[in-house]
Amino acid sequence: MKTKTYLVVCVAVALAVSISILYIPGVSQYLEQTLLIFLSTNAR
Amino acid sequence: MRIVLQILGILLLIPAIAYATLRFDNSSADGPSILFPGGKLVAGEMHTGPDPDWSFTDDVSTIELQLVDPESSRIIFIMESGGKVYIPSGYMRSTLGRIWKDWAFQADAGDGLAVARIDGKRYERQLIRIKEGPVLHGVAAKMASKYGGGATPEGIAASVQSFGDGNTWIFEMAPRGTTR
Repeated sequence: MKTKTYLVVCVAVALAVSISILYIPGVSQYLEQTLLIFLSTNAR
Repeated sequence: MRIVLQILGILLLIPAIAYATLRFDNSSADGPSILFPGGKLVAGEMHTGPDPDWSFTDDVSTIELQLVDPESSRIIFIMESGGKVYIPSGYMRSTLGRIWKDWAFQADAGDGLAVARIDGKRYERQLIRIKEGPVLHGVAAKMASKYGGGATPEGIAASVQSFGDGNTWIFEMAPRGTTR
């Protein structure tokens, strides 16, 4: 990918992730639970 | 090679953006989540009158604590000892602790005004850091018995040592207006 295209993809991905977490019900809870399980399993 | 690095960059970007968004999303919430600080504690009856018998907190594993300035809240342990309540902040001498436990530095440097929500009820308090004195032994005993697997002499001594070397800070949650 050319740099300009890559930057556009990065911005699009960032927006998609942020909007999904902020506006789709349950996504933030799911991600936080997943992160918590990961930390409780690996943080020893 | 270039495309591999670009894909790697996007794969790193996704969790970084997700973490930042979750943290931002929770920053204005009524209370903290397990992982992220929350905003001002709003819900719950505000306690008025004389202090309660704090021994009921022996059955409470964590509370929500909000500083008045800045208005951010987190989940924290609570220990009752000698009729008073205390909260700990660990890892204070580590680099991670200095970032993670910024609230403790803010409480110690600022006015210490705070609101605690315990079992859904809010209490206006003033945080006073306790650096020394016999009271710390009682706090260490409660901390060891409540969170450390038992108040053994070794466990208590380890907690007292941690308090003494500044790795764990102890704050009394005193009534508002208490002289610091």
